[in-house]
This record gives sequence, structure tokens and C-alpha cells, in this order.
Amino acid sequence: MTAIRLQINGAAVADDVPPRLSLADFLRERRNLTGTHLGCEHGVCGACTVLVDGAPARSCLMLAAACDDREIRTIEGFADDAVMQALRRNFHQHHALQCGYCTPAMLITARDLILRRRAGSEREIRDGLAGNICRCTGYTNIVTAIAEAAKEFGKEPANA
Amino acid sequence: MPDEGFGVGASLLRREDDRHLHGRGQFVADIKLPGTMDVAFVRSPHAHARIRSISIPPEARGRVFTAADLPSVKPIRVVSHSTGAKSPPWPPLATDKVRYVGEAIAACIAPSRGEAEDLANAVVADFEILDAMIDAPRGMRSSRHPVHEQWGDNLYIEHALENGDIDAAARAAEVTVTREFRMQRQSGAPLECRGVLAYRDHRLDEVVLYASTQTPHTVRVALAEILDLEERRIRVVAPDVGGGFGPKARLYPEEIILAALALELDHPVRWIEDRNEHLLTTAHTRDHHYKVTAYADRQGRILGIDAEIVVDAGAYGLWPQGPYHEAGMVARALPGPYTIPNYRAKHCTVATNKTPLGPYRGVGRPGACFVIERLVEEVARAVGREPNEVRALNLVPPDQMPFTTIGGMRLDSGDYASSVRLCAKLLDMPAVRARQQQGEPDGRRIGIGFATFAEQTAHGAAEFAARGAAIIPGFESCTARILTDGSVVLMVGIQSHGQGLETALSQVAAEELGIDPARISVRHGDTESTAFGFGTFASRSMVMSGGAVARASRMLRDKLCRIGAHLLQCDVAETRCAGGMVSGPQGSVTIAEISKVAHLRMDGLPQGVDPLLDATATYEPGISTGVYSYATHGAVVAVDPETGFVELLDYAVAEDCGTMVNPMLVEGQIRGGVVQGIGTALYEEIPYDETGQPLAGTLADYLMPGAAELPAIKIGHLHTPTPHTEYGMKGMGEGGAVAPPAAIANAVRDALSAIGAEVNETPITPRRVLAAIQKAHRR
Repeated sequence: MTAIRLQINGAAVADDVPPRLSLADFLRERRNLTGTHLGCEHGVCGACTVLVDGAPARSCLMLAAACDDREIRTIEGFADDAVMQALRRNFHQHHALQCGYCTPAMLITARDLILRRRAGSEREIRDGLAGNICRCTGYTNIVTAIAEAAKEFGKEPANA
Repeated sequence: MPDEGFGVGASLLRREDDRHLHGRGQFVADIKLPGTMDVAFVRSPHAHARIRSISIPPEARGRVFTAADLPSVKPIRVVSHSTGAKSPPWPPLATDKVRYVGEAIAACIAPSRGEAEDLANAVVADFEILDAMIDAPRGMRSSRHPVHEQWGDNLYIEHALENGDIDAAARAAEVTVTREFRMQRQSGAPLECRGVLAYRDHRLDEVVLYASTQTPHTVRVALAEILDLEERRIRVVAPDVGGGFGPKARLYPEEIILAALALELDHPVRWIEDRNEHLLTTAHTRDHHYKVTAYADRQGRILGIDAEIVVDAGAYGLWPQGPYHEAGMVARALPGPYTIPNYRAKHCTVATNKTPLGPYRGVGRPGACFVIERLVEEVARAVGREPNEVRALNLVPPDQMPFTTIGGMRLDSGDYASSVRLCAKLLDMPAVRARQQQGEPDGRRIGIGFATFAEQTAHGAAEFAARGAAIIPGFESCTARILTDGSVVLMVGIQSHGQGLETALSQVAAEELGIDPARISVRHGDTESTAFGFGTFASRSMVMSGGAVARASRMLRDKLCRIGAHLLQCDVAETRCAGGMVSGPQGSVTIAEISKVAHLRMDGLPQGVDPLLDATATYEPGISTGVYSYATHGAVVAVDPETGFVELLDYAVAEDCGTMVNPMLVEGQIRGGVVQGIGTALYEEIPYDETGQPLAGTLADYLMPGAAELPAIKIGHLHTPTPHTEYGMKGMGEGGAVAPPAAIANAVRDALSAIGAEVNETPITPRRVLAAIQKAHRR
């Protein structure tokens, strides 16, 4: 077992974890944060994307034991986030989700694109989504929703 | 139509979205029950082998279960009434033999999946390896490598279909086009893999199975039979399901074994399929071989089609429909929506040492469409005309509707040729042709291609009975209930896994009851709370379940009006149910007030009217051979003749699914289907080596379409309501996936026309494009 202390969605957490426990399984099984989904467990589909120290990361490829002293943010941790609110609203209005399995990670990736100012054109958004597979929507509406959300933040993204 | 902005025809936003946008969906793997143990399966590493022995380490005893430990579990056995159909028994845990890589041999139980996998790795099975039968066309009649020894060959079923006089067509033909086509094996690959959580509820004396399935009611039917348990003692729940697309509309060994383990052990057990297991064991799809000749006159009018079809169906038949329908559907759909007068098709469904074949969006139709639309293209080239002219020449004209094709499909309505024109317009075809003329600065070749198809949807009793099915999904059900406060619950036998049926069905009830959909709940996917139904597949749910909702809602509306008329002291004929109230000439009473009378103040009921507002209805369309949507798809591609890489530049769909209950959802289904079809066309493939090892076991080798390689999908609508359903709607869930392989292959053909290369195999990978170019150069 490895002792870890970390921040999850702003709260301090301490736990002893087996060395082979992935961050995704740690979040889902031990913290009950089931909005982080597993689609392949080998880093291709992107459904398990969370923020690690503010940057998107595959939680299926990261070990919980390697997360000591890190800050993790999952889909459950964006209640007051202006960019996430805009994304949620636009995903709803543009029918950018169907089964919902890819959606939490898609939102986290999209928010990162907007904050990094990489959502200025359809081409940019599509390239930015290369690491997130959606099997239901065909992406057209996801791209539209992200483009519309990005417009709301003009040149300077709001408090993120 | 939509008099209140939320009924039939409104693009109402989805009620499903909120939970998913906040990560609060509830998929099988999200459900926590105290004491749950994880299950991992020992699976066959061989395509074909006899099991000599299975040895379990002493310390693992009691935590590893083989077939011998679960003697009450019977084999899966599909019943077919088709003449000559062979149906092999399939033990959910292998007994004497394994017949595909991934076949389950033993279940291992531990507190975590990792520990369960450790156990599975410690189990040693001793195999006598047998030759694998992997070449369907070559091995189908052979007894040398029998997948099922007692058969004498490897044919599940073979059949011939002949209408008209194909030999006369051959004699009359001025143009003959013969081609071989191949659609490779692939996976349905929903983003959520399968999963099962099972436990015993002692209070209710039942076993509860949460499963990622499209068909909870029929899974219960099968479990009762296989486990010899009364159905009343089984509850199957499909919670949120992360995509299905067909593969999850079948019974699987894991569902049986988890239920059996839950009965055996006194704690919940859970199996969450990983992606490697999914690619190895969840139904594969397609895998068709074709040899086809088209006979035509000098104008391009097709006189006849002669087809040989072989479907490689894998090692077993998936319950309930088995492996029989894929080839049959291909054979009937192959002549397309055309007035072709003569047709012959021989089709064989072959057992191989591969994963069992199952349904996937479109079932046999993407293959059928690929073949006939490639032939239309080649006939057009042979007679020197634009393919769309030849298409229009052969399409069934509107004044001949209803029209039964030579394949036996009864097209009910529509103007098919106008979908061709609309699609060409959406792609701005003259501009594409101009760009083609000009040439690309980077040396790539531009091509444009089309494909038109009819999509049989919402087929019921007549269709499935003709197929020899033992279980006939011929209706859907709805129980509609108005509670004491006037809020509504719809309980439906189908299952929604992303389509938005919770929203769309609430719109139907809203249309009939005049109640805001926000006051209507939709329950589905639970055998406990819904009347029997078959589930969601075959593009049937809106037509069948929507029809049942409409009927049940009308039964409630009639009762609301009777009680309302009594309360308003007017005649029932004078009442109207709308805007959340029943109104008469002198005033109105809210549905909430009527509900109160029906439940809590029954002293206000008129004589002869019973309490409760609760109605159960079933529905099947007026014609149970199916109602037909149709569409033309068009693709514009750029092909690099140096690398063989195909870039999709533009894609458009012109479709007609009759009345759209929710146009936003319809377009969502189309776009999603199209991109899955693009996957079939360009990327997705599970090849096998000569020993029967599948060569795509991760998403790194199994390529699914991503946002970066796709254009936005354009859609245009035509509207021809069918006379045979509620509101005139036609099913449309699968159509998007049907035409992309054909349209894209035709576009690639167009792009390479100067070279004379064509690719008649999917997926159209750079390697296959280069091989086609090299072959053309050698000629």
C-alpha cells in the first residue's frame, strides 16, 4: 500500500492505495466519483479524462499512487465554473450528447480547449477533440456546441 | 401539428441531458452494492481446441467456477423454424471444446477486478489444439475442419431466392457487370462495454440482474429457461446504457453465469467487460463475401441481378435470433429500391472459429447497399452516363407506390429520385465537378459518390414469422398512469440507450393528453416496472413504443373526458382535453382535479366509471412487414494516389422518415449513424490470422472515427408520412449507417476513374487503395 494525500475537487483526501490501482479506479471505486468513465483502459478513447494539476489527463493510465500531492478535478467538481456552465448549456441546446458516456470527459477536454484558446475554428476544435471518441453523435453537434460556448468568452476567458 | 410547442413535431430539448452533463448518469459499473465481488473470466486463447483438463490451484478453490461447478446451467440454444437451419448448443462456460478466441471457460471471483484477474491467470487449462476453420467461402461445405463435428459441413443455413427469369435477363443484357465484394468483420463498439451486476433479493425471493442491455424483457425470458427459474423470480434492469447499436440486443454467456453465481453465492457479483473482452467476445458484425452480376440494357436500365452471398457468422448463434437473419436480410435488400425485374440470390451462413456474429446498426443492409450501389455506379460507367441518371432511371417512381421490390420489400411511400436530387444539391455537385476538372495542386484526386437505399423499419409479426423466428418481436407496450396530482408516468417495454426516447415518448403523451412533457416521467428498461416488451433494435422504438404510448394516452384521455364531463355537467362529446385541463362549453377542470377525483375523492366519479387513471396498451403498425424510410447519401473525397489515403471532404444525407416526432433527435440519429457507417467504410476491421487469432484487440488497432478526420454532416429532409403508423412516422435509427460504405466507395471510384481503379472491399484503407491502383496499372 502507498499512502497518498491529494486534493480532489478542492477537498483534501488521504488514502492508502495498492500500487497498481489506477487513478480512474481510485476515483470511481473509492471516492464514488462515477462521472469519470472507462471506455478502453488503454488511453485511446478519452472517456476517463480528468484534470491533474489543471491539465487534462487519462485517469486510466495514471496510477493513484503517483497522485500524491496533486490536484485532481473531475466532472463532479465544476459547479461554479463559468466555462463549464456555458458548455453544459450549449451541449444541451445543440444536442451534443446521446448516451452520455463520453460526455463528462468531452466537456473537460472542451473546457481546456476554450481556456487554452484552441477553440477558435471548426478545424481547431476537431483537432482538439482527437483524443476523445464519441460513438453516438458523429461529432457535428459537439463541435457546434463548443464553438458556441467559446464565443461567449471572447478574447479573455472568464474566471476558470 | 404542434399546437403547444412540445408535442409531435417539436424539437424539444432532451430531458436525459442534465444527468449526463453533470456526470450523474447511472451505468452498470456506477452502481454500488455492499459486499460486491468482481468477476473475471478465464477465456480461450485458442480459436479451436479440445479442453483436456482445467486445473485450479488449491488456494483458489471455491472462488473459481467452471461448467462442472454450475451443473444446473443449460446451454444457450436458438430455435429456428427455417428449413434446414442448424442450431448448435452453446454452453455459457465451455465444457469439452472451445470454438473461438475469448470463449468463456471459468469465472473467478475476488474483491477487486485486479485480484479476480490474478485468479484467472492462475487457472491452467490444458488444450489439444485443433485446426481453425476461418475461411468461410472455402470451408463452408468441407467436413475437414468442422466447427461443430456432428454437422458434416459448416453451414448454419443456405437458401436461394429467385424471382423473375434471371437467365432471360442475362440473354437480353447489352451490358454485363460482374464484381466480387467484401465487407470485413467489425465490432459495434459502443463506448460503454457490456457489464452485469447480479444479486439475490431474499425479501422478494428473486435474482436481480443489472445489465448493459437493449432488451431486458427477453433476457429475462432466456434466463428463466436456461436457469430453470420462474420468470417471477427474475428481475432484469437496464440502467443507463452507454450505447448499444445492436450488439447489446442479444443474450450473452456472462449474463447467465452472473445470475447463476448470484443464486449460488450470498453476495452481489459484478462483471464489467473491458475493451479487449469487448473486441473478442461481444457480437461481431458484417463479414460478408459477395459475387454478383448485374445485367443491364444500353440505357443503364438494370434487367437482373444474380448474387452469391456468404456470411461468416462465427462459432455460435446468439440468442434469440441466431445467425440466420443477416444473410436473409442481405438477400432481400440487395436489389435496393429499384424496379429490377429479375433476381436470383443464393446465400450461405457459415460457422467459423470466430466470435459469433450479431446485429449492428443496419444489420445486412450496409452490405446490400454497398453491392447494389457499386453496381449501379459500374453500370453507369459501362453505358457512359452519370451514375445519378442511371439511379433515377431505375428507382421506383412515386406513382408506383406501394411497390414490392424483386427482393420482396414492400416500399410504402415516397419519392426516391427526389432524394437523389436533394443530396446532389446539398453537396453542390456542379462545384465538385468543376474542382475535379481543375485538378488539385497537391496531386490528390477528387471524387463524388452517391448511394440510395430503402430502410425497412419497425417490422413486426409478419416479417419475423417469415424469417422462421421462434421469438417474434411483433409489438411494444406502454402503461400510462396519471397520479393523484395529475403528473404522469409512462412505463414502456423498450429501452433507451442514447436515442432520447425519454424525451420523444413524453412528447407523444403530451400530444395526446395536452400535458406539459415536464410533468411526464418515462420509465424503461426494467422488467419490474414495465409490461412486457422486446426492447430497442430494428429501428422500431418510436414507431412501436410511440404507438403504444399514443394508444395508452388516448385511453386515459377518454377517461379524463368522461370524469371531466361529469364534473362540468356537460356531455362527453363537448369536452376537449388540452392545456392541462378538460374543458367544456361552460368551463374547465384541471387534470390534477380529475386525478384527485379518480384516486382520492371517488365520490365525485360518474356512475359506471372505475377509480384509477391507469391504462396499458400494445401497438403494432398496420402493416407488420415494416414501413420504409429512404435516403440518398453523398460523399466527396480526396484520394492521394501516392499514399492511398482517403480524406472525406464533404458528406450529405437527403432522407425521408415520414413524420418526425422530434426533428432534433432525428438528425442526431442520422449523424451518429453516418459516422458509424464511415467507420465501416474507412477504418473499422477485425482481421483474423490463419490460426484464428483476432488481430484487433485494443482501440489502438481497432480504429473508430474521431472528430478530426470528419466533416460536418449535412442533412436535408423530405416528408412523406406513411399511412400505416401513428402520425405517419417511420423508423430511422439505423439508416445513417447503411449507405456510407457505398457512397464513399463510389466517391473513391470516381476519384480514381482516370486510373481505372476501384475498391470493392471495406474498410477502404490506404493499403487497399494502393493495391487497387497498382492492379489498375498492371492492366
